[in-house]
Amino acid sequence: MYSASAEVSRPFLIGGAMKKDYRIITNNPLVREKLGQDHDVEFYDCSYEDVLKKVKEEVCKGYKLLTHPLSGSVKPNETPYKSVMVSRKSGETDLMGIEIIERAIASVSKFQFKSDKYAPQVYEDFRLIDYTLISSALPSADAW
Amino acid sequence: MRLEVGHIFIKDIQFGTESKIEDGVLYVSEEAVKEVVLEDEHIKSVKFDIARPGESVRITPVKDVIEPRVKVEGRGGVFPGVISKVDTVGEGKTYALKGMAVVTAGKIVGFQEGIIDMTGPGADYTPFSKLNNFVVVCEPVDGIKQHEYEAAVRFAGFRVAVYLGELARELTPDETKVYETYGIKEGMEKLPGLPRVAYVQMLQSQGLLHDTYVYGVDAKKTLSTIINPTEVMDGAIVSGNCVSACDKNPTYVHENNPVVHDLFEEHGKTINFVCQILTNENVYLADKQRSSDWTAKLCRLLDLDAVIVSQEGFGNPDTDLIMNCKKIEAEGVKTVIITDEYAGRDGKSQSLADADVAADAVVTGGNANQVVVLPKLDKVIGTLDYVNTIAGGNEHSLREDGTIEVEIQAITGATNETGFGYLSAR
Repeated sequence: MYSASAEVSRPFLIGGAMKKDYRIITNNPLVREKLGQDHDVEFYDCSYEDVLKKVKEEVCKGYKLLTHPLSGSVKPNETPYKSVMVSRKSGETDLMGIEIIERAIASVSKFQFKSDKYAPQVYEDFRLIDYTLISSALPSADAW
Repeated sequence: MRLEVGHIFIKDIQFGTESKIEDGVLYVSEEAVKEVVLEDEHIKSVKFDIARPGESVRITPVKDVIEPRVKVEGRGGVFPGVISKVDTVGEGKTYALKGMAVVTAGKIVGFQEGIIDMTGPGADYTPFSKLNNFVVVCEPVDGIKQHEYEAAVRFAGFRVAVYLGELARELTPDETKVYETYGIKEGMEKLPGLPRVAYVQMLQSQGLLHDTYVYGVDAKKTLSTIINPTEVMDGAIVSGNCVSACDKNPTYVHENNPVVHDLFEEHGKTINFVCQILTNENVYLADKQRSSDWTAKLCRLLDLDAVIVSQEGFGNPDTDLIMNCKKIEAEGVKTVIITDEYAGRDGKSQSLADADVAADAVVTGGNANQVVVLPKLDKVIGTLDYVNTIAGGNEHSLREDGTIEVEIQAITGATNETGFGYLSAR
């Protein structure tokens, strides 16, 4: 089970003028930089897996999982960055969300850890890809 | 809708002073094709190369593979909404250059995948090793953003394919295949008693390097819809995907989708191939729910007996796959799903990130975590700079002796989820 530890920074919360119905939990500095102004972005300086564990903790508290925690092709442990959207209000237990996040955490171990082996430019590219993936969910999330 | 596809066999590609097809040889004027690529101001320079089956050549990182085609009769032109106008395609006559492809290669991001080896063990994992490949490596102008670069290379590949396809316009095909589907009522009358079968194709649709376009529309912004499979043969679906080399669908796979071809083989004999249903794979969970609900609804509306569902990519699309399967089965329509597996290097881990009892008929494209050692080849088209960072590679991937140890997920088309590959238990 995930628990806050010394490596995890306090959430970096920037509230925009218009509050959305969702929060973005991320370890991606680019997401904080690009979306932090207008969205609730909770930034943690932690690993990919720990982002998923943090999300699981939130979903277990009754927040709804809004985006799928796995990327479409970039593998866990290949990229160090992950951003996941959850609801701002808690409610009934999101059983499907719990199932999805648990399966996502289980899948992390299948991939060799190599997130610490890249040249600096590659990290920038991973940040960009994670940012575009979470951004692709914004029009749908904002439609509610 | 009736489409004749004329096959023009290309047995070799050579550079020449004039672009033409003669006696099965495609001659390409470098100068002319360079002009076609450099139409886009985002591209600074371009290099061309030819890779033939059996040559000691490695192409990497591969972005897209495209089969040149030309529309010679009927409405519209190939790649509608992308290169040609958005007219509905899929009827009339189209010529395809068989035995060859345009391959776009080169770095867009630093962790890009996609290896095509033209010889050795790697060649056995990719069907594209059996083609004469005309490789286009574009260098972007300085300061360009990855989005713009990806789009520029994507369009350059299509422009080159259209340019080469046009060379076949006045030729006589070596063979012709005919594909015909009927209207709903017409099909029921013509093929009474045959099970009504459709193909549900899931398209990757998630952002930069993860996108697919239908008639030029970004698939992530679409609702599940019906398309005639012959439209797809005219390039109605194109790939903007360039990660997950093993299980993405390059444009070539859309043009030559084996599920479509196999369903046509049985059309009118054992089944009535009603249509193709396209659905997306978005990041947002409510989108997944909406799209899979919609797909199941269409299956019911069409009174189908069975569908084949193919996935694209890995990870969150596993959830779309299972949602589609579960909901379509719940409508009383039988499903067969096609996926691939990430079962760990030892093959012992859970293969998919989602599962359900309704998924009781599954075809796999193979385990993408399977490890393979690729020998050093004499020539590299593109660059090996990224071999260590591609999926399935690590810091030891590129060994001192020049061999490469990678998981087969790095090889273009290795575990393709339409069955466009060689891995088999047969």
